[in-house]
Amino acid sequence: MSAFTVSISDGIARLVFDLPGEKVNKFTAAVMDELDGLIAGLERRTDLTAVLITSAKPDIFIAGAEIAEIQGIHTIDEGLAKARRGQEVFNRVAALHVPTIAVIDGACLGGGLELALACTWRVVTDAEKTKLGLPEVTLGIIPGWGGTQRLPRLIGLPGALDLILSGRQVAGAKAFKMGLADACIARSFLAEDLPKVISSIIAGRVHQPLPRGVRMMGALGVRSLVLAKAHKEVMRKTHGLMPSPLGALEVLGRSAGCSLEHGLAIEAEVFAKLAVTPACRNLVDAFFATEDIKKAGGKGSREVHTVGVLGAGIMGGGIAWAFSSAGIPVRMKDLAWDAVAKGLAQAASCNDALIKLRKLTHGEKSLRMHRIAGTTDFSGFRACDLVVEAVVEDLNVKRKVLAEAEHHVSDDCVLASNTSSLSIGEMAQGLAHPERLVGMHFFNPVNRMPLVEVIAGPASSPEAVQLAATTARRLGKTVVIVRDCPGFLVNRILLPYLNEAARLVEDGADVAHVDEVISRFGMPMGPFTLTDEVGIDVGYKVAKILAAGYGERHAVAELLKVIHEDLHLTGTKGGKGFFMHAPGKKSGHHLVANPQIEQAIRTSQEHLHRTPHAISDTEILDRCLLTMVNEAARCVEEGVVAKAAYLDLAMLMGTGFPPAKGGPLHYADSLGLPTVVARLTMLEQRLGSRFTPAPLLAELARTNRSFTH
Amino acid sequence: MADQMKERIAIIDGLRTPFAKAGGVAQGLSADDLGALVTRELMTRTGFAASDLDELIVGNVSQPVDAANIARIVGLKAGLPAALIASTVHRNCASGMEAISTAGTKIRAGEATALLCVGTESMSNIPLLFNRQMTGLFARLMKARTFGAKFGAWSTFRPSFLNPIIGVQQGLTDPVAGLNMGQTAEILAREFHITRAAQDAYALESHRKAVAAVERLREELMVLPLPPKYTAMMTDDDGPRANQDLAALAKLKPYFDKVAGTVTVGNACPLTDGAGAMLVMGESRAKALGLTPLGFVRDWAYAGLDGRRMGLGPVFATAKLLAKTGLTVADHELIELNEAFAAQVLACTTAFASADFARKELGRTEALGELDLARINVNGGAIALGHPVGATGVRLVLTALKELRRRKQHRALATLCIGGGQGAAFCLEST
Repeated sequence: MSAFTVSISDGIARLVFDLPGEKVNKFTAAVMDELDGLIAGLERRTDLTAVLITSAKPDIFIAGAEIAEIQGIHTIDEGLAKARRGQEVFNRVAALHVPTIAVIDGACLGGGLELALACTWRVVTDAEKTKLGLPEVTLGIIPGWGGTQRLPRLIGLPGALDLILSGRQVAGAKAFKMGLADACIARSFLAEDLPKVISSIIAGRVHQPLPRGVRMMGALGVRSLVLAKAHKEVMRKTHGLMPSPLGALEVLGRSAGCSLEHGLAIEAEVFAKLAVTPACRNLVDAFFATEDIKKAGGKGSREVHTVGVLGAGIMGGGIAWAFSSAGIPVRMKDLAWDAVAKGLAQAASCNDALIKLRKLTHGEKSLRMHRIAGTTDFSGFRACDLVVEAVVEDLNVKRKVLAEAEHHVSDDCVLASNTSSLSIGEMAQGLAHPERLVGMHFFNPVNRMPLVEVIAGPASSPEAVQLAATTARRLGKTVVIVRDCPGFLVNRILLPYLNEAARLVEDGADVAHVDEVISRFGMPMGPFTLTDEVGIDVGYKVAKILAAGYGERHAVAELLKVIHEDLHLTGTKGGKGFFMHAPGKKSGHHLVANPQIEQAIRTSQEHLHRTPHAISDTEILDRCLLTMVNEAARCVEEGVVAKAAYLDLAMLMGTGFPPAKGGPLHYADSLGLPTVVARLTMLEQRLGSRFTPAPLLAELARTNRSFTH
Repeated sequence: MADQMKERIAIIDGLRTPFAKAGGVAQGLSADDLGALVTRELMTRTGFAASDLDELIVGNVSQPVDAANIARIVGLKAGLPAALIASTVHRNCASGMEAISTAGTKIRAGEATALLCVGTESMSNIPLLFNRQMTGLFARLMKARTFGAKFGAWSTFRPSFLNPIIGVQQGLTDPVAGLNMGQTAEILAREFHITRAAQDAYALESHRKAVAAVERLREELMVLPLPPKYTAMMTDDDGPRANQDLAALAKLKPYFDKVAGTVTVGNACPLTDGAGAMLVMGESRAKALGLTPLGFVRDWAYAGLDGRRMGLGPVFATAKLLAKTGLTVADHELIELNEAFAAQVLACTTAFASADFARKELGRTEALGELDLARINVNGGAIALGHPVGATGVRLVLTALKELRRRKQHRALATLCIGGGQGAAFCLEST
């Protein structure tokens, strides 16, 4: 079956792309060959005045290249061949003897946009789904079919850098304004207006002035200035951990002033180099996992119309904000009006942050705030389809609140606990209908963290789990469904890592240095900065719950005990933690150490009868990260999460684990599992049983398998 | 008129926001915001399905320029369905009552079965306007094409062009009588010989009653969130002063007639923000649904009079209402008579009791009936609570019905004067 149908009338050839058996159009090697053949056919015709490329898929022009084929690139040569083939076909399109017009009514991404760029003209519609962009960098590669060369030639270097480095997508009207498209017409009037635009083009009446960005580039030094600025911005955002934006900058730098042909050669070379990096593999895996996890746990839950939130603290307010932003009315209850005000203020501040970024108007904020109604009693809860509890992290308090709520809600209302570590099974005890309770763990801050853990307790009904998952997805969150165990998934893996960082310091490592080593690895912040941000009291509480649940392996580090119980330090919110935090100031890179910590370290060393010694950076990395890996392996083994890929995705989204490293299990695979086991065994011999390799890890290493492939 | 033929209008339930002094804590809320907040809360508390409503009617005086047909904006902000029709009514200070009586008329005409009636006002947000000279300059500038013409237009500018027209002042002025509301109160003070001392004493009493009623008034209040920061909530009306005394009132200078006047900001109602809402049905419909209404509107009347004496509106409207219901003033156990001005309330009580007034002005042979001060505004009135003009009508009905319930009494009169020279009177029954 062919992907294109060609019809010719009145001298105009129409190539309609309609990939059989797929919802979207994408470029596979076979499609590329077919297009090549079609263009070759058109080259020989002398009766043509124009060639149109359109799509028969609703809301899609071309979604890009087949990503699975990128996964199939294993050598530089394969990568080069992949890029060269696309470049060759698109060059052929560009070289046609008659004007080519891409009619873009829907998503036009990656290779799709590169084809459009090879056309002489681009006509877009104003439809909501019409989006143009080059998302390649987010997959660890760069546009390899001419995008890095043709885009700056069309819209200028600054605009091209913006699109290529961010992977940002622009709407049809915006594409027209920035010169990416030559005409923008209303989808409804496509039939009437497209022929007019085509005849104008054929008659030579459509012109686009070269944008200022293109003209300016001629001036001496402007180009290198723009590139240097972009490089600085990329380093600021990624700390050099993402190879793809740097690769894009390399291509644009080296190809400056070159012929198209030479530029394409550089593009292909860098594309091939990037396509075989672990970063690319990891990012593509994460992309597939993101697509896959959306479907996990089935679909088709009943729709939630009204939500109740119990507890109007930072979390309650954030959760209320998330629902209100998705258009779902919220009834938020707390004990006193002062407390309710705090929750509303929290929601308001989430909106204000968006207003500052110009992503929200004051009018939209007002509408969102209208959707959150405060209350100090249970009035209105009868109408709620879902009630999320966000009171203090205390089993007895949560039990009491949920049991009370049960009297005020309808029979089919689902109850969800926003607990970060308490057992859903235990929490459900005492409920008249334990099957309606699930965990719905939003991460803090709710407005910035994309992950929600939905926890299925032993008694939770599949319908309740389904409803929580579907609703969280409606809020734009990525949902990972996890089994009920202390710490669930993310905290269970993250806490031992924070704990181990504290043990490193007990053994003689320096607080700021540990943070630096871990930051260099790519975590958004070091373990001690993170502990301060989370709140030492909060972290300590969760650590205790994990210690109670898993015993020796999760025993809370002496240092944390001293800092929490003797010094009562809380971290950023209290102004003092491992570092000093000035009130109102965002913790940046230059944190000042808290002098009290030194004393606490000495105290804990005395308690433990330990003499500090020098610790290498390798040991710091291994002890922190392999602790995570080992716990992650146990989670997979115990079936806490359905797939290893979901676990890694959850760690990327829940902890900011560097995406290019793919998550703890991808990281373990990249080290090689036998190496991981060997290092863990060495640590076990020196430091004790907490490093004993997890059985699954040992088994995979022994049989030469991996977690992720 | 065959009174028994008319169906009573059931007030299923009602709610209002706390009333906030204008320019105070609630200034971040526009009139449509206030109306939407109270609407959403009332709908939530009653649990009545929005799909069973036939219309939303909103009374509002100083209609915000950014909320054309404010009723529609109120409904959508409150999350009511797009299919619910919404209209705005205006009878100046009686706009809240007008919402209810319009609903009543539609119910009696068989055009609707259940309606949501709202009164709302944000006197904080009434804009300042450019004056005639400045708007003239803008018009000339728009027409000016050349630099010379533009320069010529600008050269006519004088600093006085920037003197704004204060919207709220204009709104409180009767352009036909050429008097602002305070000046009409001065006229009544002179005509009925209401001294400054009597006015101040009445005002003090209003505050005393309102302060004593804080707990009771909470039964009709929702708690108001306060944008833009939302760091606090408003739980009570902020007008009543616990520490008000006659000496403090006596110190205030007359505001409207600075030379020989008696009306001060202390014995007049303040500018206020607030809103109220009611779920309204025909009595039979409420019964069929098995609902127990808060109370009923048996009937209502509006009357017109000379704008210079607009404060006597309650006298004229009540006379008309009693003619409709066949009841006497004494048949009403409670009375809510809106306190625009102390002078105006006291003028009304005199006129109610005067046979002479009744003969000359009302065409009656005998006095309308004594108003027992002990039964008027038992929980304080607008002098203490404030008078958000579009919302007050709803408050009077709500407060009266709640108090009837508390006292296990049967009938109340709610009446108010209307700027421009009208009066409104509602006959309310608890069972």
